[in-house]
Formats: sequence, structure tokens, C-alpha cells
Amino acid sequence: MTASGNCPTGTTEERELPFSFTPQLFHLHKDHEVFEDGDIHRHMYLQDLYVSGADDEPALSVSEFACHISGCSAVFSALEEYEHHYNSLHRHVCCSCRRSLPSARLLDIHIQEWHDSLFTVLAQRQDMYQCLVEGCGQKFRTSKHRKDHLIRIHKYPPDFRFDKTKKDRGTREAKRPQQKDTAMEVADDVCESEGVCEVMCDVLSEQRELGETMETLVEEEAARMTKPAATMEHTDLSAAFDGNGCTSSETFKTQYSYRVPTTVCFGHSSVRGFRGRRGRRK
Amino acid sequence: MFVPIALRQARRDRQLVSKRLLLTEDEEQREVTMDTASGQQDLVDLLCKVQHSGPERGTHLKALSKALRDPSEQLTFIKQENSVNLLVSLLTGSNAQCRLHAARCLHELSHSPHTNVAPACLPATPYLLTFLSGQSTKFTELCLYTLGNLFPDSDVVKDKLLAQGIIPALANCIENQKHNLAVVEAAAFSLTQLLQAKDAAEKIIPKVLASSLPSQLLSVLNPDPNFGLAPAIECAWCLHYLACSDGNGELLALGALSHCSSLLMSLGGAVAEGNKEEGMELLVCPLLRCVGNLVSCCPVDSLSTQVGDVRLVAALCAFIKAYLHTQPALARESAWVLNNLTAHSTDFCSALLTLNLVPGLIQLLPFSQGINTMILRVLANVTHKKKESCLQLAQLGLLSTLCATLKMADQEMVTLSLEILFMLVIGRPQVADEFVRLSGVSLLEAIQYNSEGEMRRRAAYLLEHHLLSHSADCTV
Repeated sequence: MTASGNCPTGTTEERELPFSFTPQLFHLHKDHEVFEDGDIHRHMYLQDLYVSGADDEPALSVSEFACHISGCSAVFSALEEYEHHYNSLHRHVCCSCRRSLPSARLLDIHIQEWHDSLFTVLAQRQDMYQCLVEGCGQKFRTSKHRKDHLIRIHKYPPDFRFDKTKKDRGTREAKRPQQKDTAMEVADDVCESEGVCEVMCDVLSEQRELGETMETLVEEEAARMTKPAATMEHTDLSAAFDGNGCTSSETFKTQYSYRVPTTVCFGHSSVRGFRGRRGRRK
Repeated sequence: MFVPIALRQARRDRQLVSKRLLLTEDEEQREVTMDTASGQQDLVDLLCKVQHSGPERGTHLKALSKALRDPSEQLTFIKQENSVNLLVSLLTGSNAQCRLHAARCLHELSHSPHTNVAPACLPATPYLLTFLSGQSTKFTELCLYTLGNLFPDSDVVKDKLLAQGIIPALANCIENQKHNLAVVEAAAFSLTQLLQAKDAAEKIIPKVLASSLPSQLLSVLNPDPNFGLAPAIECAWCLHYLACSDGNGELLALGALSHCSSLLMSLGGAVAEGNKEEGMELLVCPLLRCVGNLVSCCPVDSLSTQVGDVRLVAALCAFIKAYLHTQPALARESAWVLNNLTAHSTDFCSALLTLNLVPGLIQLLPFSQGINTMILRVLANVTHKKKESCLQLAQLGLLSTLCATLKMADQEMVTLSLEILFMLVIGRPQVADEFVRLSGVSLLEAIQYNSEGEMRRRAAYLLEHHLLSHSADCTV
């Protein structure tokens, strides 16, 4: 209190009110210092991640069972394995040529381009070949144009496996030897024997000429893995289910009977023709 | 909480990047015993075995994926000719189990600390993206985490993935699998990786805002009690990165502010009841940021429709109280949001008074780490907007607390305290009297003699115009 008399030194000359508070809104940038600790905790959480995933081996052991899709002889010991197998190889299957595709959209595109005569007619007059990239939406006059677009705009590899068209077949023969040079020999062997997806591409274009189908390829491989007992069980199962009527030259195939016409499909989205309802798992 | 120094340094260098490793269940059971002794020869040997088709191929491929956990093996692997192409062919082959193991191998590679591994994985990216529209959920999840890990490593990978359509692929994936929360979580994680890119504001965020992603992210926000918070956490972080940039108009139009604030309110209610579910703060943090930044951009007339319930302020106070000691940074962010709300609208200022939250805020003023300045700002906002409540504020103990804050070393605290004091005493001699009675005058005198110019001017003004005339009547 005593010092108060000395106080007005120089300050009162300035008439302007020295108070200026106004409420302020702060918009903080991503890298703002206030966010530092929160960001660090976030990243600690991310880096410690501990999620149960993939193999469920010891979960609950069930006796081995076979894929119910006719012509497929894969055998499983866990439901998850089967689910993955079914979803990967049998969910999006073309009913005309039995090629398996990785998604409903690619299957739709495949069906149109390979088996839809209206498409063929329309394609002569307008751009019908849809870009394969989800959300791109562009259409092209020929599959060649689309391929160029995929490579140029979307940086796709020139040998994208899910972009094979009927018309490619002729030209592929010329291309293949070249591919063989660059690819590892064994890697190429993979292409030959693993066929499903590529069923619609490399492998089949050659092998189909021989009258083989995807199922044979799957089977060929599965047969190697399958234990005899499981094969028997599977045979019984698929005998009742066989709707393929495959014209396979494989000896394995001959064990099946062909009671059901090819046009009949069994099970939820086992095979599909023209666009229908999309199968959802959950 | 312990915070690694390396992470803090990376954050300051703006290079904080994380990858997620999806562990397999057998690892969970066996405590992850990595056999690091396996030398280079083994990997090459394993690779040779994988090249030959046969019944054992799946087993070899699985062993390969385990070996690839080791960073030096990752480098060995990418140096082998055609090794990645081999993985790609197995990834797209006819054996579903091999597909899964090949994806697993790529996932291990994507988790590599070496930045040259991600570009080596480029041949696989169009396929990983294609499989996002597939139906096998575990497989899709693996592809998503792999893509999310690959994205930040190099500009080449980033540009390729953007050209290959990763944004629409993620949008489509969440749309198709919205009921599968593990996939949603994985997709949202990948999206956070995109949104954290340095040039995201120019190249990525506009595309994301133009897609269906923002509305999908919002729809996932409400946590599923059976699944836990994880998917909502990832989505909330995506929204935070969007709200940090200029995308607020779009987000506000989608009702993001009302979504986030109502979720914050329910979390605040849980916290107030003492229910601190493990990891809840991981969701609270991004939500606070969304609300804070969205409020700052929200036109004042639509604020009441966006944040319908003023009790949001109670939730924020609950967070401050709950996290003050365990996670002070989170308390500070809550205080920041409270500042933005009270700076924006009188309604929230009134709510602090009617919900009797002011005493709790006053108690926070002794704490440092930026919390007290934000709280003081909040109190200044209330004082500024609710002039008629100044007496009430003084009676709630604000004056005596100001006596403490005026002594603080932090200049911002002192300046703000002087500002509040001015707003309180102006035209209210009884408040001035009370301050004098609390020996406030000597505090101001100390400031007047010791402090920097601006503060001195304020202290002198207060003494001269509002306090000294009363001090004579009161004290003597």
C-alpha cells in the first residue's frame, strides 16, 4: 500500500485502454505442438498392436471335411480355412466358363465381355470396356485401349492377371515365350499349375484349348494333397452335387457321375451367370 | 505415462510413422519365439522349396512368412531374383491356402523397417487392391494392413497406390464390409496412413472428401459393445486428420460435429461414473480434436444445431478431471475444446455456470503444462460473455485464485489474469473491494515494478482506475 503513491509513472500518459481480451477460437493444425503427446500415444498403440489373426489351428478340431463344390477336392480341417477357400475360389465363378474371379465387379465385367452377345454388338458402336479400377468409371472401345489406360494412368503391370480377354488368346501365343525368358522358370511353373484366377488368363488360354477347365486344375493340385480317405468321402459328396459336366480328360474326373445338367447351380452363389444379387457373407 | 524419446523426436521431425503387424493366433499362444539363428542360407533354401509346386508348398510358404519377420531376412529376400514375382503368382494362384500364406509373406515384408523393401513389393499392389473387393475377410484384412504399411515408405509407392485407385478401393471395401468390423478397422487404419502423408492436404484429402468415405467413417463411429472400440478409434483418427485440414465444410455438412460431440458426451458420462474402460482415451483423443477443430470452423448460427446439447461441457470437464494426472495432454486438449466452445457461444458459457462446473475449473488453475492457460481462457470467455455473472464468478472463488495466478512466472497466465480482473472489477466496486481485501493490491504493485511493459501498463491501469480509490476506504 505504501508504494502506491509512486505508481503513476509514465503509464497514465497512454490514454488507450491496455486491456484487449476477446475470446479466441483456435484451429489446430495436424502438427501442432498441443497434439504432440496425443499423437505419440496413438503411435504407441499402433506399434504395440496385438491382433489375433490368420491361422486358427488349435481352436476346435473338427474332422477333415471337403469342399462341397463339385469338382473341387480341397480338404480342410478348420471352418476358417474352408471359408477362405470358398470365398477366394468359388464365390465369384462364371457359370459359362467356370472361371473364378476375385470380386463381383470383375466377374460382372468378365461375363459381359466374354459371354454377352449384346455387349459384343454394342462394343462395336460405343465404348464398352470398363476400367478395372474401382471408382475410375472410364470406358473404352477395346480391351487394348483399356489396357493402355491401366498401364498409363493407373500404373498397372502390363501382365495384370485379371485383365485377359477372349481376343487376347491369339496374340498371347506370340507373347508367351518372351515372358518365359524373363520369369523364373519355377515362377512360370506356378502359373501353369495354379490356375484359378489366371484361369481366365494365361494358363487357360492354352489349356482350355485342350478342353480342360478350372476344376481340373484345382483338382489336379488338390488330388496331390488329398489323403485317400478324404478323397473317397469327397467323391461321395460331390457325386450327388456334381453339376459341372466337365469335359475333362483327367482320369480323376471320371469318378464322378453327371446326373445334373450343367445349367443347374447349387448353393449360394456357387456359380453365377448374369448379374444377380451379390452374395454377402455377413 | 512413459513416452519413448524416439517417438517424440520423430514427431518433432514430422516423421512419426507406424506400421501395424497383424499377429497370427499361433504366435499369440507361443509368445513369439523368433528363431533368429536361421541364416541367409535357410531363406534362400526355403525360397527354392517354395518355387516347386507340391503338397509341401503351403508349409514351406508358411515357414517363409515366419522367416520374413526378421528385417535382415527381408533384405535378403528382396535381393533374390524374381522372389516378389513368385509371391505375386502364389497370391493370385488357385490354392487358397497358398494365397493366404503369400499375403502373409507380403505383410511381413510391408512391416519392414527398411525403406527399400516397400518399393520391391510394388508388383503386388494391384492385386492387393483387387482383393479388397473380395469376400474372404481374413484375407482382405491382411491385404489392408499390408497396403497401409507400404504406403508411407516411399513416394514411388504412394504415387502408384494413388494411381491404382486406393481411395475408391478403400471406400468400396468399407461399404461392402461395413458389418465386418475387423475389416472396417483395417481399412480405416490404411486410410489414416494415407491421410498422414506430408502432401496429403493437396493430393489425398480432397479426393477422400469427394468420396463416400467421410459418411462411412461417421457411420462406424458408434462403438459396438461386443467388438470394442478399435474400429471407432481408427475412424475417429481419420476424421481428425480430415478436420485438421480445410475439409471442415464438407464434414460439417455431413453432421460430423454432432456425431462426434454426442459420442463424446456418452464417453464423458461413462468417465464421470468412473468407468474407464481400457483404451477409452484412444477414442476420446481424436474425437476431442474433431470437435475442437470443427467448432472453430462452424458458423455461429449453426453451432446450436450441430452441438445440440450444452451438456457437452460437462463431458469435457469430466475428461479433464479423469485424465489430469494420468494423461495431462488429453486434459489439455479437452480444455482447448472447452475454450473453443465457450469462445463461440454464450450458451456454453451459461452451461458452465448452471451445471456448476466453474468451481472445478478454478481448482485446475494451479496445474501447469498448458492446462491452466486454457482454463483461464475459458474463464475469461465466460467473464467476457456473461458480464452479469461476474459477481457470481467472484463469489465462486475466482478472485482468490487470480491472486495465485498473478504470482505465476508464466507471462501469459499473468496477462490473462489481469484481463479477467479488469473485466470483473469494471463497474463493480464490490468486486474491487473484495480483491483489495484479499491483498491483491500488493500483487499488482509487484507486477508494476518487476514485469514487462504490457503487464505493467495493465497493472498500473487497474491500480489507478479501479483499486486505489477503494483501497483507501477499505483497508485503513
